[in-house]
Amino acid sequence: MRPAINSFHKTFCVMALLSITSCDGQQSVFTDLGPVSSQITLLMWIMFIGAALITVFICVLMAVSIAGPAGWRQKLTTEKNIIWGGIVFPVVTLTALLIYGFMVFKAGGTLAQAENPVRISVVGEQWWWRVIYRHGDGRITESANELRIPTGRPIEIELSTADVIHSFWIPAYAGKVDMIPGRTNLLHFIADKPGIVTGQCAEYCGGAHALMSFYTVAMTPSDYDAWLAKERANAKPALDSQGEQVFLSSGCGGCHTVRGTQANGKIGPDLTHAGSRQSLGAGILPNTTEGFAKWISQHKTLKPDNLMPPFDIFSESELQSLSAYLNSLE
Amino acid sequence: MSKPVKRLLRKLLPWTPALLAGGIVLVLAIAYSGIFNIAASAGHPAWLEWLLMLGKERSVIVNSKPVDVPELDFAELVPLGAAHFQGGCATCHRMPGQLLNPVYDQMLPPPPDLTIHAPMWTREQLFWMVRNGIQFTGMPSWSGHDRDDEVWAVVAFLEVLPSMKKEDYLKYANGNVNDEINTKNYPASRLASEGRPRINPNACDRCHDTGDSPPTSPYVPRLGGQDNAYLKRTLHEYHSNLRQSGFMEPIAVELDDEHINSLANYYASLTVPAGKTAQRPPSTGFELGRQLVEHGDLSRKIPACLSCHGANKRSDYPRLAGQSEQYIRQQLQVLQRGVRAKTPHGAIMTAIAQRLTEQQAEAAAAFFANQSPAGLKAEEGLRQ
Repeated sequence: MRPAINSFHKTFCVMALLSITSCDGQQSVFTDLGPVSSQITLLMWIMFIGAALITVFICVLMAVSIAGPAGWRQKLTTEKNIIWGGIVFPVVTLTALLIYGFMVFKAGGTLAQAENPVRISVVGEQWWWRVIYRHGDGRITESANELRIPTGRPIEIELSTADVIHSFWIPAYAGKVDMIPGRTNLLHFIADKPGIVTGQCAEYCGGAHALMSFYTVAMTPSDYDAWLAKERANAKPALDSQGEQVFLSSGCGGCHTVRGTQANGKIGPDLTHAGSRQSLGAGILPNTTEGFAKWISQHKTLKPDNLMPPFDIFSESELQSLSAYLNSLE
Repeated sequence: MSKPVKRLLRKLLPWTPALLAGGIVLVLAIAYSGIFNIAASAGHPAWLEWLLMLGKERSVIVNSKPVDVPELDFAELVPLGAAHFQGGCATCHRMPGQLLNPVYDQMLPPPPDLTIHAPMWTREQLFWMVRNGIQFTGMPSWSGHDRDDEVWAVVAFLEVLPSMKKEDYLKYANGNVNDEINTKNYPASRLASEGRPRINPNACDRCHDTGDSPPTSPYVPRLGGQDNAYLKRTLHEYHSNLRQSGFMEPIAVELDDEHINSLANYYASLTVPAGKTAQRPPSTGFELGRQLVEHGDLSRKIPACLSCHGANKRSDYPRLAGQSEQYIRQQLQVLQRGVRAKTPHGAIMTAIAQRLTEQQAEAAAAFFANQSPAGLKAEEGLRQ
């Protein structure tokens, strides 16, 4: 039995440590960087402290009922105490919590009435995020695996899915909202200050679910406008045409778009400005030339079952120039 | 059973393990002693011949029961089957109208004359034998792994073989080989130095296109106009058993790098006849094909075929415009079965082919078959 207990302890300790590490920084429910998430954090603290107090109170009652003076024990068994403590108290507490919970739930909804929200669509795909910026003039700009938002303005995110159920979650800004086939769900929030946080798919969506992550970059409104104008523009002509040639002639454009070239595929992520993103492969690799080379040559092991066909056909120099080209798409 | 017999059996019962052990020892002793003559020259005694034949026939009949005949155009497969027979089978089984080389006639059992023996078997049984070979007879199994689709060409040929005259056979087996076999005009000096003129069993022309003629069967790909790098890659893949084909591997294995380079140069330089351009009236299938080839199918995550098989693409990717419908369909089925996933290029197409519905595969094949290589290039150019 001993080893079993030991291993259980070890597992428990590791899991506890893991949950602590997620408490600081980019992907934490304790990091409230906007009004919606601060309300959620407040609700969480109220529930946590309330539950702790009730637990202590119940423990005291149990101690009294086991080892307390006879008179106290007698009192605990009266019908009045059972009705007030066992029925009325839970009903009142839970009802109050429910109403409060609904109010928090609506916090994002009230933002919906705000005028001129930033409208972005995010489509969950196995296992990446299609991100579509909707401009005031009705046009759109497609991007992928990264969300950029301005601070101080209400954000409205339209969530849908191309395949199975996913869940869109940026803990620092808002609660999770599911992406359900055949439905469009809305998520509203505001980012208070510039910064980079991570988001994650929060609904098991197949083998590589854990590798479906993304960065969210909050920028000052002026920075955001400048960035969006750049994102909207076509890719600059490649400095080194060899990499572009490998990209176009190998069929990459059948699935990926690089605006400004013949590559206009819609199946995989838009790569027009892929080199300017924080990460590769939906948050799993650094955005460097080496990162691109690693993704192209090893993506079947990095993200098993992903829908990109294996491309093990490139020579060393082809892979190098292709990766450099993709990294240069800023 | 009478009582005395029962009593006797009961008495013998304890001895059965000993009898079994004795039997095994006896068999081992005979094998070790070497008194059984396995010489091919010794032949089989009549009783053994009868027993072996019975075992073989029953095995073929029983094991071929699960075989299903696919929907194929058997008549179109005959030239391919004949050419393979000439290159692979005729050595042992003799070509029609010719005596068997006495060396092969001395095998035990002697390879049967298939003009007589092929009609004794059903289509399924012929398939099973060509596909699997037969133990202890020298008959090998099909060398292209999981390429059952190819075996049917040999079956198609074997079914028409008995009715073939020597001239018919030579016409099919020769394919596009131009050298008329004409012993009369063959000078004795040449005969003395080169031997009897015969069909080169490994000649590409027996099946594939030449400058003047198309491939001998729609199940044979057109090689003229393919890129040098693609042809080279394919021959290397066949050569090193990476791509499976019972037709091509036995031929490619004998080619060295120099052969492969010059063959690739030759086929890449062949001018492709102008060919057909969308003569077919635009039917729904044709439109589906066009849609898939030019734009893909987003809902099934299929990219446009032209993103790899169009103009100005990698030179180690194949060009499909003008390739026959049957060949493209067959290759798509082989890809869908995962047979070609071993090569890096095959692995890419395997992922895509497995997303195609049967209808889509047919439509894409039909569309490509109705394009002329030049026409598609022009179209691409217009779009850009």
